[in-house]
Amino acid sequence: MSSSSAAQLHVSRRRDAILPAVLLVVFVVLPLLLSSPNINRLLFVTFLWITTSVAWNILGGFTGQVSFGFAVFYGVGAYTAALIINAGVSPYLAFPAAGASAAIVSLMVSLPTFRLRGPYFAIATIGVSEAVRVVMTNVEFTGGASGYRIVEHVPFRQLEHYYTALALAAIAIAVSAYIAQTKFGYGLKAIRQDEDAASAIGVNPYTYKLRAHAVAGALTGMAGGVFARYAAFIHPQGVFGFQTSVSILLMPVIGGIGTVWGPVIGGGVFGIVEEEIVASFPQIHLLLYGCLLIAIVLFEPGGILGGLRKLAGRIRGKRRT
Amino acid sequence: MVSAEPKPILQVEKLTKHFGGLAAVKDVSFEVRQGQIFGFIGPNGAGKTTLFSLIAGALKPTSGSVHSHGKNIVGMKPFARVKQGIARTHQIVRPFRDMTVLENVQVAVHFGRNSVSSARQARERAMAVLSAVGIDKLANTRAAILSVGQQKRLEIARALATDPHLLLCDEICGGLTHAETDAMLQLLRSIRDKGTTVMYVEHDVKAITAVCDRIMVLNYGQKLAEGTPDHIQNDPAVIEAYLGTSAARSK
Repeated sequence: MSSSSAAQLHVSRRRDAILPAVLLVVFVVLPLLLSSPNINRLLFVTFLWITTSVAWNILGGFTGQVSFGFAVFYGVGAYTAALIINAGVSPYLAFPAAGASAAIVSLMVSLPTFRLRGPYFAIATIGVSEAVRVVMTNVEFTGGASGYRIVEHVPFRQLEHYYTALALAAIAIAVSAYIAQTKFGYGLKAIRQDEDAASAIGVNPYTYKLRAHAVAGALTGMAGGVFARYAAFIHPQGVFGFQTSVSILLMPVIGGIGTVWGPVIGGGVFGIVEEEIVASFPQIHLLLYGCLLIAIVLFEPGGILGGLRKLAGRIRGKRRT
Repeated sequence: MVSAEPKPILQVEKLTKHFGGLAAVKDVSFEVRQGQIFGFIGPNGAGKTTLFSLIAGALKPTSGSVHSHGKNIVGMKPFARVKQGIARTHQIVRPFRDMTVLENVQVAVHFGRNSVSSARQARERAMAVLSAVGIDKLANTRAAILSVGQQKRLEIARALATDPHLLLCDEICGGLTHAETDAMLQLLRSIRDKGTTVMYVEHDVKAITAVCDRIMVLNYGQKLAEGTPDHIQNDPAVIEAYLGTSAARSK
């Protein structure tokens, strides 16, 4: 590659970093200006959804391994953080521990399920996820089905939670963006497009899928931990629920699978709209998600980001003529 | 050929592969020496593709051994064989369709025998391979929209980018025009001349005899003959397998 095009790449990379930096500043300042607990809470939840959406995309988008089992990591992270915080340890040690335990669980899930390909892997993750939920419903030392309470002997400060979630989302996006342009990311993308061809040029599909799963699991587990501390009460039907897995899968699909920013958009939209939808259509909100999923897969597999790119291309094309 | 025999790069001994009761490849032994273009031909169903897949690692043999540089590689997965210096092309092209031509080859540099971590360095080496194969002008084109001939070249570029000692080429001239075939064979010669040993399977006897230093003929999964192109073309057993008994007698 010539040095001029390398320099161009550098400039475009710097330009790519401007919008995210501006957004980060906006979200740092916003709660100080608005000081609305309700908006803070909504954004807090949205940041966590963005984190899980970006995490899922590392395995489902980059690597092409569709999992219906991410609630396992969310739940394991939530319970790990809960137990550690209740033991009197700092939450900021509990969150990394939540990520680590979710990553370890991801390896345990990976070892058998990655023997399977495509739809068979997806089905296996449903089985694992449901099995874990049932086990957690019956484990006594975490309260079983009736849930588990987190007690901190410090006053509740909403902004602290807000900034923790914002930082976690920023970390998740940075990890995802970094992976996308490294050797690791190219290996994952090669596996998504043709696993056998990837193997034929030296990519070990098994270990690379394992690693992607672990990174995705760790980020999701940390999100679960941050959520648990905020909620102060968790129960298996919630954090380990199948609906949690579906939500985590739905967001990157809405936003644009396999891209860096699609899952962020998807998580943002989902986080802001979700509560409204649940409140307005409590009986049929899952049906609405199902319809949305079908519509996206049929009409715009690239999600919101894919649609926007097409639109931008069309406008640019018209201007030229 | 040089009088001092170059050392063998691949040694195949009594290789056998059964599919159920059928022996697709049976007791095949041969050696590929460094710097050769080694071809194998055979009528339809002779076991060419099976033998090829056994050497590339896509299939496991029922019995027998494959040694690369003296090391038994039976049971090694394809990605591990790449690290040993064995790379393949696919008969039916399998590019990473959503990547550009450059990215396709860049991945191969990242994960090849002398794997490179830096993306910039990998792109540079990938560009060099694209020039050598003659598709550098297509570097930023999406692989999905290439023509068949271009995709076959991309297959070769990607395999070459892993820096192999031995390049396995599976029917790289299938579906190409005469002019394209000639250009492809020229490319194979230039790859050999730069020091990579080539093993080449093709349906087209003309293409094989034009380019190979040594040829093995398969029939019903067994080795029928092996030798230089001249030798093979005049072997009565080979003529019989291809053209029938009467043709062999009239020779």
